[in-house]
Amino acid sequence: MSRDDYEGPILEIDNLSISFFTRLREIPAVMDFSVTVQPGEAVGLVGESGCGKSTVALGVMRDLGKNGRIVGGTVKFKGRDMGDMSDEELREIRGSEVAMIYQEPMASLNPAMKIGKQLMEVPMIHQGMNAEKARERALQVVTDVKLPDPARILDSFPHQLSGGQQQRIVIAMALMAEPSLLILDEPTTALDVTVEAAVVELVKELGKKYGTSMLFISHNLGLVLETCDRICVMYSGEAVETGSIEDVFDKMQHPYTQALFRSIPLPGANKNDRPLKAIPGNFPLPHERPPGCNFGPRCDYFEEGRCNAAEIPMFEVAGDDRHGTRCLRFEEIDWNAPMQLMETKTKGEIGPVVLKMDNLKKYYEVAANALFGGGQKKVVKANETLTFEAHESETLAIVGESGCGKSTFAKVLMGLETATDGTIMLDNRSIGDVPIEKRDAKTIGEVQMVFQNPFDTLNPSMTVGRQIIRALEVFGIGKNEAERRERMLQLLDLVKLPREFADRMPRQLSGGQKQRVGIARAFAGDARIVVADEPVSALDVSVQAAVTDLLMEIQREHKTTLLFISHDLSIVRYLSDRVMVMYLGHVVELGTTDQVFSPPYHPYTEALLSAVPIADTSVEKEHIVLEGDIPSAMNPPPGCPFQTRCRWKKDVPDNLCEREVPPMRQMAEGHQVKCHLADDILARMSPVIKIAAE
Amino acid sequence: MEPLNGLEITGRILWQFLPVWISLIVVFALSLHFKRRLGLYGKLFDSPIGMIGFGFVMFWIFTGFYAAFDMIITHDPLAQISGLKNEPPGSALRDPGPGEYPWYLLGGDNLARDVFSRMVKGSSIVIGIAPLATIFAFMVGITMGLPAGYYGGRLDTVLSFLANLILAFPVILLFFLLVTPEIIAAGVPSFMAMVLFFFPIVFFTVLLNSRYHSQPKIRTPLLIVVVGALLWGYLALISSEGYLVQTETYAIPLLPQALDFINTSSGFLVVFVAVVFVNSPTVYRIVRGLAMDIKTRDYVAAAQTRGEGPWYIMLWEILPNARGPLIVDFCLRIGYTTILLGTLGFFGLGLSPESPNWGATINDGRKLLSIYLHPALPPALALLSLVLGLNLLADGLREESLKD
Repeated sequence: MSRDDYEGPILEIDNLSISFFTRLREIPAVMDFSVTVQPGEAVGLVGESGCGKSTVALGVMRDLGKNGRIVGGTVKFKGRDMGDMSDEELREIRGSEVAMIYQEPMASLNPAMKIGKQLMEVPMIHQGMNAEKARERALQVVTDVKLPDPARILDSFPHQLSGGQQQRIVIAMALMAEPSLLILDEPTTALDVTVEAAVVELVKELGKKYGTSMLFISHNLGLVLETCDRICVMYSGEAVETGSIEDVFDKMQHPYTQALFRSIPLPGANKNDRPLKAIPGNFPLPHERPPGCNFGPRCDYFEEGRCNAAEIPMFEVAGDDRHGTRCLRFEEIDWNAPMQLMETKTKGEIGPVVLKMDNLKKYYEVAANALFGGGQKKVVKANETLTFEAHESETLAIVGESGCGKSTFAKVLMGLETATDGTIMLDNRSIGDVPIEKRDAKTIGEVQMVFQNPFDTLNPSMTVGRQIIRALEVFGIGKNEAERRERMLQLLDLVKLPREFADRMPRQLSGGQKQRVGIARAFAGDARIVVADEPVSALDVSVQAAVTDLLMEIQREHKTTLLFISHDLSIVRYLSDRVMVMYLGHVVELGTTDQVFSPPYHPYTEALLSAVPIADTSVEKEHIVLEGDIPSAMNPPPGCPFQTRCRWKKDVPDNLCEREVPPMRQMAEGHQVKCHLADDILARMSPVIKIAAE
Repeated sequence: MEPLNGLEITGRILWQFLPVWISLIVVFALSLHFKRRLGLYGKLFDSPIGMIGFGFVMFWIFTGFYAAFDMIITHDPLAQISGLKNEPPGSALRDPGPGEYPWYLLGGDNLARDVFSRMVKGSSIVIGIAPLATIFAFMVGITMGLPAGYYGGRLDTVLSFLANLILAFPVILLFFLLVTPEIIAAGVPSFMAMVLFFFPIVFFTVLLNSRYHSQPKIRTPLLIVVVGALLWGYLALISSEGYLVQTETYAIPLLPQALDFINTSSGFLVVFVAVVFVNSPTVYRIVRGLAMDIKTRDYVAAAQTRGEGPWYIMLWEILPNARGPLIVDFCLRIGYTTILLGTLGFFGLGLSPESPNWGATINDGRKLLSIYLHPALPPALALLSLVLGLNLLADGLREESLKD
C-alpha cells in the first residue's frame, strides 16, 4: 500500500470490545467503543483511571498481551481492517504508520544505546534508509523538537538528559518515520507544569507541520482542550460522550461529563462560596458494572426502571457535528440549569500565628568523591532564607516544580532534617534544630504530614485500623487498646470512611479511600499543622474534589494550619488563603491568593499560571513558554535563580539579574516579590488568565 | 521366603509409605477446598508447577517426620543382617525372626544394611537440619541486612565487606577446616555457634521491643517471657554435657545437664554452624537490597514523621513488605542447604560415618557403583526429588505472587 494516496479517515474504530481473561472470569475492559480520526485531526480520549482509555490504544496497536483479546468490532487503519493483517503487516505499520508515545519517557528509551542510534534505527528498519541519511534525518527531527545543540544530544545516552528532554526525544523518535497516526498515552503526566506546557505546545505545532493525526489520551480535561479538535469522554469501558471540543465543553449532553466539569476547580470556584461538587459513590469495578447505564448509580438524573433496564446505545445529538451521547434522557435534562448550590460554608476565622519561619536555610554537603569522602565538597542549597508565618486555620499553599526545595522544607519542618541556619518557631518553641528523635510525642503529633502517592502511603501488610492505632500508640493517646480502638473508629468517621474498613488491608481500598486513611492517620495526634504534599495530584478528578473537600472540612472543625504543597495552580487558587511560590530554593513570591493570581506577578509565577491547562473554553490565556529546564540545585545560576529562563530579564538594566540575588520587595500589604524589575514594569503587567465575558 | 519381583517391590514400597499418602491426601484436599481463603499459599494450588513441587516437598517432610518415630522404615538402619551384603532389591531375609520384615525392599548395602530404611531415615536428618539451619541463616542475614540497607553509609560498607569476605572463601575448604579435630578441639565451632545462635535472640528482642516500647505494661512481661525462653533454648543448644567447651586443656562450664533439654552432638553442631555461616551472607545481600528499595516508600516516611524508631521501621514497616522475595528465596535456600548437607555427608564431614544421611550413603554406594547400582541410586533420587520439589515450589510461589 502506498502511503500517500489514501483519502478518508485515518483510523476508524467501530464497536470495539476488548476483554481481559483472568483465572476467575472474563473482564470486559472496553465495550462497544467507536471513534473516527480524520486526517490531521487530534482526538482526545478522556476518562478516569480504569476507564479503558489506554486499553483502546493498545487495542489499536494490537498489543494486548497474553490475557487480552478483542472480542468484537473492528479497527480500520486507512480503510484496512487491522484484524485481517498478518503479524508481519502489523509490524510494518507499527512504528512507521502508527507511533505511540508513552507516559514514562525513561522507560521508552533504551538506556544502553545512544540517542542518535535509537533514532536512526527507525527509518533504517522501516524505510531501509542508509545510516548516513538516517543520521541526517535524526538531526533534522531533533532540531524540530527544539532541543538545544542537536548534534551533542545525538551522541548522549538517555540518562544524561532531563525528563523533559527525554520526552522530546521520544516524540522525535515517533516522528522519525513520519507516521500518519500518533497515539499519545498521557505523554506529559510525569513532567513538571512548565515543561509540560512546552511539550504540549511542541506536539501541537508538530501535528500541524507534519499533518499527523493524533489520538491523545489524558485524564486532564484542560490539556485536551488545549491540544485536541475532538474529544471522547470514557466512563467504565464505554464512550459516554463524543463530539467536537466546543460541543462537549459548552453543550455537554451526558451527566458524567457534567459531573466531571463540576468536580474540577475552574476559575471562579471557591472553597467557601462555590465549593466543588464531588461525584458521589465509587467507580464500578469492571466485573461489578450495574445493569443498563454504567453511570446510573452515581447519576443525579437516574430514573429507576428506565436507566437500568437495558444496555444504552449511543444517541446522535441533532444539529451538532458528530456529537453523540450515551444517555437515554439527554433530551429531557435541562443542561443549562445552574448547579444546585450545596450549602455555602462559612469561612474559618484565621487565628493567631502558630508557625513562624525566620531566615531558614538548609544546605546539603555532597562529597565529590563518595567512596573515600575526600576531595572538594559541593554545597547544595536546597532552601535559601525562607521567611514566613502561618496562622491558625489558614491554608498556605507552597507552589513550585520539582527541585524547588518544597520537600526539603517539609523534611526540616517535620524534623527529619535539621536546619542549617535560621529558626522555626512552633508557638514559642524553637523546633528548627530539634531532630525528630528529640521531639516529644506531643510536638510530633502536632506537626504531621499527608503524602502524595496514595498507593504508597499505607503499609501494605498491616490493616488500616492497626496503622491508625499504631499512630495513636506512638502519640501516647488512649490508656488501653480498647480506648485507642474507639478513637481509631472516630477517626474513620472523621474522614467519612465506614467503620468496617478498620479490618481491611490497604490493597482492598481505592486510591481516594487510602488517601482518607492517610489523612486520618495524620490527624491521630490532634495535628495543628498538617503538611499536605500534593495530596490529591495522584487521584482521579472526581475523587480529588471529595478529598479536597474533606481536608477543608477537617480544617474548619479543628482549626488546623494546612501547608498545601502543590504544583497544580487551579486547586491552589480554589482552596488556599495565601500562596508562596518557590523556585530553586528561593521564595520568589508570597501573598494572599488574590494578590498572587493577579498582576503584578513575579515572572516565574506568570509563567506558571500560563502553563496550567484550564478546562474552560471561556478562559483566554496568554501563552508563555519557558525555555529550557530548571537548573540543577547543585549548580545554581549566579544572581537571580530564575534569570536563565526569565522573559523579562532584558528589562532590567546593567545585567543586575546575573549579578545579584534580588531583595524581597514589599508590593502591597502582605505581598512580597523577589525581583529586580522596576515598579513601573511590574505595574504594567497584564493578567495571564482572562475570563471572557459571558 | 521367595525374593520379590519388581511389581511386588513397588507395591510393598508404596504400602510402606501409606501414612505419607494419607497425610498428603488430607493436606491437598483441605488446601484445594479452602484455597480462595488462604492467600498466597492458596494461590499456589492454581499453578501445576507449584503443586507438583509442593507435593514433592510435603512427601519428604511427612516421610522425615514419620521416620523420626520409626514408622515407614522396615529395619533398623544401622542393623546388619548376615547374607544380605550387596543383595539386589527384593531379597528375602534368610530366617526372619517373628515380627521382622522378611525382605530388604531395595536390597542391602556393602555392610548388609537395608537400603530402603537408610534412605527413609536419611530424610529425617535432612528435614531436621535444612529448614532449621536456613531459618537461622535468615535470622542472621535479616538482622545484619536490614540496618545495612536502611542506614547505608559506612555501616553498610563494613558489613558488605564482611559478607563478601565470607562468600569469597571456598566453601568446601571452610568445611574441612571446621571439622579438623584440632579446630574442634580448640572449640571454634562452639564459639561460632555461640555467636550465630545469638542472633535469633537479638532479632526477637528488638522485634518486640520496637513494637511495644510505648506500652511498658505489655512490653516488660512479654520480653521477660520471650527472651527468657529464647535464652534458655540458646544455652541448651550451645552447651553439651554441662560444658560450653570441653577439651583436654580447658573447659568452660555452662548450663547444668539437668536443664539441658536439647542434646546436640558435636558433629551435628559443626554441620549446623557451617551451613548457617555460609548461607547468611547471601541472605544478608538480598535483605539489604530489599531494604534499600523499600526505605524510599512513603509509608516509611510516614513512620519516620510520627517518630518511630529505626528498628520499628526496619522490622515492622520494611521486613513484612519484603516477605514475597524472601519466602521464595527461603524455599530455594532450603534446597541449597540440602545439597550442602549431601556434600558434607559425601565427604564424610561432620555427621558420624555410619549415620544414614544421604550424602554418606551415596558415597558408600559409589565405591561399588560399577557392580551394584542399587545402594547408591535410592538416596541420590531422594536428594534429587527433594531439591527439585523445592525449586519447583519456589518457581510456583514466585509466579503466583506476581499474578494479580
